[in-house]
Amino acid sequence: MKLLAILFGALLAQTNTSGPDLSGFWELRFDSKNIPQASLAPKVTPKDIEAHREKDRMAIRWCNFLGVPRVMEESPLDIRQGRIETVIVAQAVSTARHIYTDGRGHVNPDIFDPTTNGNSIGRWEGDTFVVDTIGIAPDRGITSIPGGGYRTGDSHLTERYRLLNSGKQLSVTFTWEDPNVFAKPHTYEFRYYRAPKDTNARNWSCDPFDESRAKFLTESPAK
Amino acid sequence: MRRATLAIVAFIVSSGLACAQSRPDLTGFWERRDVSGSGSFGGIDARIPKAVLVPAVQAAPAEPPPNAAPAGEAPHKAGEPYVVTTGRCGGGMPFMMGHSAAIDIVQTTEEILIIPEMPGTRHVYMDGRSHPPLNALEPSNVGHSTGRWEGDTLVVDTVGLVAGAGIPGGGRRSPETHLIERFRLVDGGKRMSVTFTWQDPKIYVKPHTYEYIYYKDPADTYALEEWCDSSDPLQRQSIVPPEQRR
Repeated sequence: MKLLAILFGALLAQTNTSGPDLSGFWELRFDSKNIPQASLAPKVTPKDIEAHREKDRMAIRWCNFLGVPRVMEESPLDIRQGRIETVIVAQAVSTARHIYTDGRGHVNPDIFDPTTNGNSIGRWEGDTFVVDTIGIAPDRGITSIPGGGYRTGDSHLTERYRLLNSGKQLSVTFTWEDPNVFAKPHTYEFRYYRAPKDTNARNWSCDPFDESRAKFLTESPAK
Repeated sequence: MRRATLAIVAFIVSSGLACAQSRPDLTGFWERRDVSGSGSFGGIDARIPKAVLVPAVQAAPAEPPPNAAPAGEAPHKAGEPYVVTTGRCGGGMPFMMGHSAAIDIVQTTEEILIIPEMPGTRHVYMDGRSHPPLNALEPSNVGHSTGRWEGDTLVVDTVGLVAGAGIPGGGRRSPETHLIERFRLVDGGKRMSVTFTWQDPKIYVKPHTYEYIYYKDPADTYALEEWCDSSDPLQRQSIVPPEQRR
């Protein structure tokens, strides 16, 4: 029996069954988002909010990497659970999200160069995949957060992924904590729908030097 | 009865292990090293054989190098910064496989991801699917890739790349061009050999093949992000002096 246990253990290690398998393509639909209004810290002013909106407009106009949380609004997302990390890949202009599941901690902030997706580590709590992210670049990509507010270099994002409806849906709750921005943790939920198994990823191109696109995005509509 | 059950369980487990173990695990971060040059891979890349192109392609102008002066402009002085014609970000294929930055390979049963430090992740489908018809496939900078195992070698077939050049050895590509890559671990998994073979009778007289060697990074390596912003004037400048233009 001991030998069988060892063999089973080796097999499980190969197939990474430390939790439910979230692998697949996941889509957002019209009813996917449940986003309450964020409770912002008193020091956040309308001018701050508008400055981030304007920066986001320019990020889109110049095809900047999206980063979190905006990348999670792309559809479909390709999620794959590998042996040492789970990755989330969007089709838009964005780098992949790397969520390390091999037990490592966050990279020392003293040496980590912040990125648009930050530094993420994940663990399983029962059937829920909990992802902890810090180290998000405050000045790159789209910084606005659904429900209000924006991310800064001090933002801390906790996500909880859980399969629903026999694996046909994926619930992800996002909780943002940042005393610079939020009066209390800001939580919202997206529910993704599993896409067909034969879904092919598309790689959307974005041309920042497409003049007609730039004009469309930056000029006010004629009155 | 108990003995028979144990035998069945042992058979299932051993079959599973044999199946899992017969596929090498390419998981991890891999990077090229310039073992014979100054860090720009010039010494290694110079040894890549020249692509033999069909006459019509040979006669057609290739894409200008990224640091070329725009048409009609006077040559730049040595060391003089100037605005290049393309300030676009992102690499795609085949640039990302030759880049000095690490690639991260995530291997699962149904799909293998090859992830650069910039946008443009490659999705290699391992579930037996075929390429979509070319007339239904929008060309992209990473194309459409399917993979299969031939013994200890991962064989990846890619079509649907955007037409262009930039292939080591002077090759060209179109959406119809097939790129066949063969990934194989060597030296006990410390290194990985990838041979690239470009096949397209409209472009190549014979398939164009070259090899890159990648070195495995430590297990605790984490992904970096190669930030790029086309709105940044520095992004559209080069200080490469004209005499270094290829």
